[in-house]
Amino acid sequence: MSDVQEATNQLLDVNLDENWRSIQVTGSDPRSESEHLQVTVGATVPTGFEQTAADEVREKLGSSCKISKDRGKIYFDISVESLAQVHCLRSVDNLFVVVKQFKDYQFKETKEEVLKDFEELAGKLPWSDPLKVWKINTSFKKKKTKRKKMNQSSGKEKIDNGQGDKTDEKDDKKGFTNNTLDSHILDYYENPAIREEISTLVGDDLASCKDEKDESSKEETHPEVLKFRVTCNRAGEKHCFSSNEAARDFGGAVQDHFKWKADMTNFDVEVLLNIHDNEIVVGIALTEESLHRRNITHFGPTTLRSTLAYGMLRLCAPQPTDIIVDPMCGTGAIPIEGATEWSNCYHIAGDNNPLAVNRAANNISSLLTKSQIKEGKVSWGLPIDAVQWDICNLPLRTGSVDIIVTDMPFGKRMGSKKRNWNLYPACLQEMSRVCRPGTGRAALLTQDKKCFTKALSGMGHVWRKVHTVWVNIGGLHAAVYLLKRTPQAFVHPSEQDRERTPW
Amino acid sequence: MKLLTHNLLSSHVRGVGPRGFPLRLQATEVRINPVEFNPDFVARMIPKVEWAALLEAADTLHLVEVPKGPIEGYEHDEKFLRQMHHVLLEVDVLEGTLQCPESGRLFPISRGIPNMLLSDEETET
Repeated sequence: MSDVQEATNQLLDVNLDENWRSIQVTGSDPRSESEHLQVTVGATVPTGFEQTAADEVREKLGSSCKISKDRGKIYFDISVESLAQVHCLRSVDNLFVVVKQFKDYQFKETKEEVLKDFEELAGKLPWSDPLKVWKINTSFKKKKTKRKKMNQSSGKEKIDNGQGDKTDEKDDKKGFTNNTLDSHILDYYENPAIREEISTLVGDDLASCKDEKDESSKEETHPEVLKFRVTCNRAGEKHCFSSNEAARDFGGAVQDHFKWKADMTNFDVEVLLNIHDNEIVVGIALTEESLHRRNITHFGPTTLRSTLAYGMLRLCAPQPTDIIVDPMCGTGAIPIEGATEWSNCYHIAGDNNPLAVNRAANNISSLLTKSQIKEGKVSWGLPIDAVQWDICNLPLRTGSVDIIVTDMPFGKRMGSKKRNWNLYPACLQEMSRVCRPGTGRAALLTQDKKCFTKALSGMGHVWRKVHTVWVNIGGLHAAVYLLKRTPQAFVHPSEQDRERTPW
Repeated sequence: MKLLTHNLLSSHVRGVGPRGFPLRLQATEVRINPVEFNPDFVARMIPKVEWAALLEAADTLHLVEVPKGPIEGYEHDEKFLRQMHHVLLEVDVLEGTLQCPESGRLFPISRGIPNMLLSDEETET
């Protein structure tokens, strides 16, 4: 019998009334057993930013990372006590606890044999410690939920919150609950800024609702059978099987082993089977939804992942009181991430599109509401502001900005390639004007690498390219260019000479 | 719009150049937002602040207790830093206008967001 089975049996045996039982479930018996448990945690990060993520892990957890050949994954060891801090990592999309890692798995020749091996594998893996971690992780999330309910948010008329349609509620077990918020937040549709909203998605803590009923009924079913699913990611040329087949057969064996119930959508345990060439990692997911949309409740057509925004900001090594500007902010993903993580800097989000600026402002408001509840702070303000402006003609003092971080129009979903030929040089020029000579720097994301490189080639007197990170954005191969502003002061072209010729 | 932002904004109307700073502020709706006080942040920000512009803006908003300039040993003067913190970060202009001091062009502030876009004619050579 597995440890989980034992634990759940113990719970069933306890003689109790409802209150007692609910205390037991969140009660952390597993925690005291496994106080000194060391585990390997895997994290998925935006491809190209593995090193940045590893730096954050070292900085915040003191652990060193192994960067996997399977791009976009890093691994590090922690003791279970650090689990809470692991969830606070901002460069990480998803987290999982490693059950077993095979550096060089020997695949048999035929599909039948390979799949049979997977079936047999299920029973032989060291599940017990990872499952303890999973259990702690789950109870930790439940505790967070309970704490949230006790915090009263003091209402203020001007809170704009992108709740999303109530009909979009997902039944998921995230940390946040919205009970205390409901009565204090403007009805989504009453907010005039949102009337113009084109698309919204439920994607974040604040937007996903979970009411009291769900909570307790989940706890009651907890002592019973766990539900699980297997997710298989397979990459490699020489495999004779598909990820579906592997998931199915491995999953079948897992089910036999644990007597869990398979459920693709409403699961407690997500088992991960990651196969990359000869490397296989079996893990158990610790996050249910990707962390990457965490800050954005109002999506726009091309919203950037928060984890990517974090990576780009981190590349610039923000110093206290740096003025950080995103002159094409869209929904404000970058400045919002900035204001959250580098609150000792000042952030300005700007865009020419009124819809975009409004969305950014709404996301900022949502963030304020969230940080209120999270930390019980009285704070209403964050060091961030929004302005509507034209990137080619920024209403900013010359040399007043320390860092520019932005996601430039790719020309695919927004703008056009042709437009980029004019836009990019104009952008780089105006950005060089407002950026502080000598110390200023910029991290610019674009898929239109050709146009960018050409535009940059004429600007060696003001911009020096220091580093390039190759990233994957929704299937497109993009790059983040890290530029340093040279010490040369910006020379104003004469007033007549304002016409911008591309080259 | 916070006053720290106002301190960075400059008019970019054609031909105006550096004479576009500072923008003249008029406010019809202002909100005070408490913001967590970070003395180190404020102290380091002081050298970056354009004082005349800040004082002018604070004046039109009828703010009281605004230091006239950096005082001796301001880095350790909590009262001074708190006053500066308040002026720079806690005063939020929700509705109003910013005016280019050279050309007179008005830029509206609505829902806390200044609209600094120029029309097509204004940006043509």
